Amino acid sequence: MQTDNTDKRDQEVLALLKDYPAPRATATFYDRALARATQEGTRRQRNRWLMTGFGSAVAAGVLLWLVGGFFLTSPVMPDVDPGIPGITMTLEEPRTVNLMFASATALDSAILTVTLPDGIELAGFPGQRVITWQTSLNEGNNLLPLELIAVSPVGGEVLARLEHNDRDRTFRLRIDVS
Amino acid sequence: MREDDHNAEKLAFERLVRPHFDRLYRLAWRLAGHKAEAEDLFQELLIKAYAKLDELAKIDEPGSWLSRVMYNLFIDERRRFARRRMHTVEEGQLPGDGLAGLPGTEDPVLDNQRWEKIRALDAALSQLSDEHRIVVLLHDTEGYKLEEIHKLTGIPVGTVKSRLHRARVRLRDILTRSGTFS
Repeated sequence: MQTDNTDKRDQEVLALLKDYPAPRATATFYDRALARATQEGTRRQRNRWLMTGFGSAVAAGVLLWLVGGFFLTSPVMPDVDPGIPGITMTLEEPRTVNLMFASATALDSAILTVTLPDGIELAGFPGQRVITWQTSLNEGNNLLPLELIAVSPVGGEVLARLEHNDRDRTFRLRIDVS
Repeated sequence: MREDDHNAEKLAFERLVRPHFDRLYRLAWRLAGHKAEAEDLFQELLIKAYAKLDELAKIDEPGSWLSRVMYNLFIDERRRFARRRMHTVEEGQLPGDGLAGLPGTEDPVLDNQRWEKIRALDAALSQLSDEHRIVVLLHDTEGYKLEEIHKLTGIPVGTVKSRLHRARVRLRDILTRSGTFS
């Protein structure tokens, strides 16, 4: 009986795997990806960021906080939560968003991942939606300026996720595009 | 480079790669498990492939070559940061990501049951290591043969077989414990 049940469940697993869907690319995605790949003079920069305290080079723009141990947003709902901080960007006009990470202690080898919605790009990383840095944080305030560009009028949510050992914190920023 | 030459090059590149786009997109999705990362991987592949256009133009099976390059890009990225795959809940919460918007059946009751099982599978897959998850998705979901997986990944066929078996057993155990099976 146990073998019969196991066989049955094995068949169910296989059936589920066969049914496991994958999305299709949107109509314009392939064209955009080709255009970016064949753009002459495209340079990819992968920078390792070392954030060193509260500098005076805070560019004009939005200043947001990611505080260790404290979630700034409510649990995510399927629709955009109006409680999430938001900014409005103008199409094709760069805008600097400053993320401030306040850390109680110095942290080595933290991983910062910024995930962008479709249509929002990070300057220096054309066509890339997930950008990951290995970084260190000093005790106190650490500043990360992100120069964002809206390349389509859709908007969405930017996620900034900081991971260290088994802990992580995520900050959300809503972007509307006018 | 003169504009005419550049345009000719772009056209030649597109003719080589576009026939393989759908398969490559699916592969990127299976590797990365997350739409934004999958699209990044796809983009990285095209950039790398364009830089090697001369080499690509001489290859008999560009589809296989492109798949291998994509797989190697994925592995390099994973090694570089050695980070855990993001939680399925986080992926599902990103607008337009995950399983939302995929076609279902016409029966709403069956739809719900089907999607519950697919979400459970998605969560179970996230508990596998990359090496087990990728093998089981390539073989059981995408229909790659063992030899094809070996050619794509460089993993010996025997190792592919044993990872496949372990992945299936693990998925069965996780899904049984989660009450997914009736």
